Amino acid sequence: MKHIFVFDQDKCSACSACMMGCLDQNDTDLAAGDRCFRQTFDTEVALEDGGVHCAYISAACMHCADAPCIAACPVGCLSKDPETGFTVYDNTNCIGCKSCAMACPFGAPRYRASDGKMVKCDGCNIRVKNGLQPACVRACSFGALTCVTEEEYKAGGGVKACSALIDQLGLRRR
Amino acid sequence: MNKYAIIGFGGAGYQAAKEIRRLDPEAVIDVYSDTDTGPCNPMLTTYYVKNAIPYEALFPFGSLEDIRRDLRLQVHANRPVTGLVPGERKILFDGGEASYDRILISTGASAVMPPIPGLDLPGVFKMRTARDAVQLKKRLDSGEIKSGLVIGASWVGIKIVEDLVEREIPCTLVDGAPWMFCVAAFEETALRAQRDLESKGVRVACGQMLDHIEREPDGRLTAVMRGGDRFTADTVAVCIGVKMNTGFLRDSGVAMNRGVLVHRRMRTNFEGVYAAGDCCKALDIQSGTHRNIGVWYNANRLGAVAGANMAGCPAEFDANVLVNLAHYLDYDFISIGDVSACGPEDEVYEYEDEKYYIRAVRSGKQIKCINMTGTADSNGIVKNAFIKSIEAPEAGLDIKTICFLKGKGFPDGFINFLGGKSLD
Amino acid sequence: MTESEKKIRAKIPGEDTGIEVRRSLCAICSPSHHCGVDCYVKDGKIIRVEGTPEHPYNHGKLCTKGSSLRNYVYREDRIKTPLRRVGQRGEGKFEPISWDEAYQIIAENLNRVKEQYSAHSVAFFSGYCKWYRPILHRMAHVFGSVNFGTDDSTCVTAKILGDKVTAGCGAGPDMAHARTFLGWNYDGYYSAHLSVAGVQKLKERGGKVIIIDIRDTPASKNLADLFLKINPGTDGALALGMAKLIIENGWADMDYVEKYTYGFDRYKALADQYPLDKVAEITGLDAEKILEAARLYATNGPACTNYSASALVHHINGFNAHRAILCLSALTGNFDRAGGNVPNPPTYLHKPAGFKVREHEFRSDRYPGGQERIGAERFPLWNQLYDEFQAVDLLRQLEEGEPYPVKAIFGMGMNAKMLPETDKLLAAMAEKLDFFVNTDLFMTLTCKYADIVLPACTSVERGELKAYQGGYLTYTRPVIPPLYESRSDVDILCDLARVMDLDDGLLKQGYEACMDWIIDGCGLTVADLKASDLPVKVPVAKWPAEAGKVLSGGFKTPTGKFEFYSETIAAIDPRYGLDPLPVYTDSLADQNDPETREKYPFYLCTGARLAHALHSRIHETPWLRSLRPDPTVEVHTADAARLGLKDGDRAALSSPYGEIRMVVKVTSKVKEGVLMTLHGYTEANVNELIGRNHVDPYSGFPGFKGMRCNISKIQEA
Repeated sequence: MKHIFVFDQDKCSACSACMMGCLDQNDTDLAAGDRCFRQTFDTEVALEDGGVHCAYISAACMHCADAPCIAACPVGCLSKDPETGFTVYDNTNCIGCKSCAMACPFGAPRYRASDGKMVKCDGCNIRVKNGLQPACVRACSFGALTCVTEEEYKAGGGVKACSALIDQLGLRRR
Repeated sequence: MNKYAIIGFGGAGYQAAKEIRRLDPEAVIDVYSDTDTGPCNPMLTTYYVKNAIPYEALFPFGSLEDIRRDLRLQVHANRPVTGLVPGERKILFDGGEASYDRILISTGASAVMPPIPGLDLPGVFKMRTARDAVQLKKRLDSGEIKSGLVIGASWVGIKIVEDLVEREIPCTLVDGAPWMFCVAAFEETALRAQRDLESKGVRVACGQMLDHIEREPDGRLTAVMRGGDRFTADTVAVCIGVKMNTGFLRDSGVAMNRGVLVHRRMRTNFEGVYAAGDCCKALDIQSGTHRNIGVWYNANRLGAVAGANMAGCPAEFDANVLVNLAHYLDYDFISIGDVSACGPEDEVYEYEDEKYYIRAVRSGKQIKCINMTGTADSNGIVKNAFIKSIEAPEAGLDIKTICFLKGKGFPDGFINFLGGKSLD
Repeated sequence: MTESEKKIRAKIPGEDTGIEVRRSLCAICSPSHHCGVDCYVKDGKIIRVEGTPEHPYNHGKLCTKGSSLRNYVYREDRIKTPLRRVGQRGEGKFEPISWDEAYQIIAENLNRVKEQYSAHSVAFFSGYCKWYRPILHRMAHVFGSVNFGTDDSTCVTAKILGDKVTAGCGAGPDMAHARTFLGWNYDGYYSAHLSVAGVQKLKERGGKVIIIDIRDTPASKNLADLFLKINPGTDGALALGMAKLIIENGWADMDYVEKYTYGFDRYKALADQYPLDKVAEITGLDAEKILEAARLYATNGPACTNYSASALVHHINGFNAHRAILCLSALTGNFDRAGGNVPNPPTYLHKPAGFKVREHEFRSDRYPGGQERIGAERFPLWNQLYDEFQAVDLLRQLEEGEPYPVKAIFGMGMNAKMLPETDKLLAAMAEKLDFFVNTDLFMTLTCKYADIVLPACTSVERGELKAYQGGYLTYTRPVIPPLYESRSDVDILCDLARVMDLDDGLLKQGYEACMDWIIDGCGLTVADLKASDLPVKVPVAKWPAEAGKVLSGGFKTPTGKFEFYSETIAAIDPRYGLDPLPVYTDSLADQNDPETREKYPFYLCTGARLAHALHSRIHETPWLRSLRPDPTVEVHTADAARLGLKDGDRAALSSPYGEIRMVVKVTSKVKEGVLMTLHGYTEANVNELIGRNHVDPYSGFPGFKGMRCNISKIQEA
């Protein structure tokens, strides 16, 4: 069953519990300079009308249906999991060329200094396959971040998805 | 049942085959290749040389046999196509010909070895194919090479420099242009890159046109420059560019300008005949002109787009912009957009801190070219902002992109330069 | 990688992976929360933490802090053994000793002070985590000391006292039945994550939300229909101004006022001094917005209000500001009415659960008397209403030794950074104390001044009794054994009771026996509770709390009514100058001389919550620290521009009491002229800026959230 991350920015507070869930799940070694796959943004954006918009955002790999990173990887590390639809990877052959980072409009791929390889959010693929929610979704108390099946997404109208951004950028096969 | 031919089996050819198979399960797909390997990614050669990957990884989609089986292809290995009759959609090869409903030209490009005396000397090499890589690796592994000369500060050339430096082999980089990465870099950026290289022990000489190469009595090689300067080393890598593999199309009627010219949907001037990858010039959305963008990603995307259109599903690649990326010796450089389009009347943005160097040029709200160093993790975000600015220069940046850019530590001035305030 | 290896790496619980889910609770924040957690355990180690979906309190949710629980538990700098000081106090030089030795030293030294001075010269003090407080409280009394104190001296108690003198008890928002939510200082996203769902539901059914805050927050963006970005410290004036509008416009519930309240005329006369234009001027708000807020609150059907534990009462005018806001609830007939604020008395450790236990009796049956508690003379209202010493006066009493010397402190999680002039307090402790013992998870600044430091364990390494909303009790079991040689706080206390042979059979029997005594009569025993790893419904519990009980049974105030005019305060000696009415005064009243104004033109607000921090508890937890690596001061865009400050600059913050250094974050979320910082950083402790006498005379609470200060850029050498 294909899964889609949905982000509702009207419910987010950039509290970063999602990041804590991600760090807990992925044993990210911050001391070694590695960074969380998920990132929150508490950003004040100047608007054209002179006002300020307080943005609260949580973002990681968007798991684009037509993910540009897959085509960009010169060694073919990246692929789609046929079951979940998540963009997964096997970085055994990763050469650290950062081509994936150049392809990704969201800055999702991370370059891990300790071994010079790319790592990224894999949607907690194995968790989802075992009937659990992605760690970040599990940690969100406000309903800002959810992960639904494609069917649920379509039934829900899906306007608020990070997927909406994916649609906007043409990263979904039509 | 449609019959497809794919001429040349690199990234573009593979992606086209895959897309055709997905959209047209019944199709007959013939693949013609001048090798018997799976599609090879030329940019991996230098990584193989530095032991970053095993030999098999040069072929990211697997072996030819595996691909043949998975995509149900009819593969004609080691069978270069020698001619094309586009009106009849007929291809010619040594000892035969065949006709198809659709044909894709995806023959790629080759390293240029210009007719300069001495390029055939032993110890002079180029870098494009898996075989090139195997040969260089063998020579470097032998330990006999004590010094290296790289001619051409190109994307391959710089990676060979890296191969040499990482093996602690003294190395000189010479280039005919006035500064490094000349097709993509502003002079200001190039000087920074040069200083970085020099700090890592690489000797760099720009504005040096190669006249010929000669052998010293001790067996070493000397590149003699037109100005008379001489650079001597145990081995010389010639990395002065690539040429598109379109020789077999000469006089076929397929419209070309060195590369095969294609429309937005990757069709040539002939019905049923398509081209993709490094042998073609697709539409660059920034200039609106035909241009080859020799990047693995673009080749793959164009291949997939061509495949979709060939299988009857209209598709376009709307993000085909000039991009050059170099990542070497813990340094990274990216150029987005067309540096040659920039002129003295344009507005320049420049920023530098411990981590980043940014130089960007725009005219009005139209961004022309962005050079950045140290930004590798964020390049996709900036590239995406650039592409959107081409599509809609007035729209400004969306809030998420602004957040991403701020989150990556880009200065407000650059964010404003890219599109500034948000309309959201 | 095999499928099984993949599952282990993905931390999938199951027999095949050997990963087991064990339940406990997170005790990082205040005991009025404490969410249930599922700990994924493999080979005796916690490898992942999630909220427990079946838990009746948090239903699987965890906040930012709780989601980092594993990182907190396994911090590398946990104290591993009991320690004896070998260097100077504050130097941080210790040697490991055995538990037996530590107990002996503690017993000897406390008894020596008791003999040389008196038992009252030993102060028992508790910081976080607060779960063992009934045991420590009783132990202080059994030892013979009246001096049990906690960091409630600077948290929540001022609100509790305000509630007591006005209404006899506190009352929580009845969100499920309200039409309007007055979110005064409300930011659930940062400090009460489980409350947000209730506000969202209220909005979904058409209810209105008013948020009053001094800064833009996620609540003001995501929840507010009306957002009043008020000048800090002026909330009391706004409440009185709203009262005037409500009375004038006939929006007050006069039936309620006549039947259930006391002192209305004097209250009205006070409110009359706050006409709209004056209030708009004081608060920096648009008059129309104030009017709209008053109208919405008073006329849109039942309205409930958020009362915060610290945001308001950390001003020197905060006690009365809270009372003024509370009075609006009675004025509009919302106190103890459905959809308003409904009293729901705590069952155990501040948690309401719909039944009574013998916590107070357990704590105070053995009160020794014979001396006044610390702070009694200076804060009479506090002393009369609260059975702890007021630790804000500890520094003075240490220094002056009056009315009697304090010679030993038995601390548990004692944290001097929570009190003004921290360094002075620590210096006084170093100089004046004969003996100081502290218990903690980590070697804190305060621990460095202790003679003996004992290693405590975290909530997941112990068993504890806990009551929950909904009528629940639970007794958790350890998920992992205590790390290193650490011990549960209560085991330490009960061990000591035995070693010191204190005259108390209960304490000597241990924690479980004490808890059985406390919950006796509820229909369950500790043994019953231990049979379940989830909270158990208590047979005698009545939930939810019904509205109207106080209205029918009478308010627990001197007049039996809701007192706009407090007779309790009126009875206090007039020399203290405490006003029975909720008067508004300037929150910088003690610092408004021209010279101080000029030198310290900024309004410093410390400790306003952010999601990733709580006091100093988790500043050193690496995952959380990564979210904001540097102690940071938020500066308004216009001020920053004027002073040439930009993001990332280092700046010095100074007050007449000290100077600290922080990193600048430029923002338009705060108001111009306001500086906002978190508290609790050792390397940038804001309490060095807060004067010991800058306190609210009613509660003794320091003005943490309203203090004059200056900021200047540090020119890097």
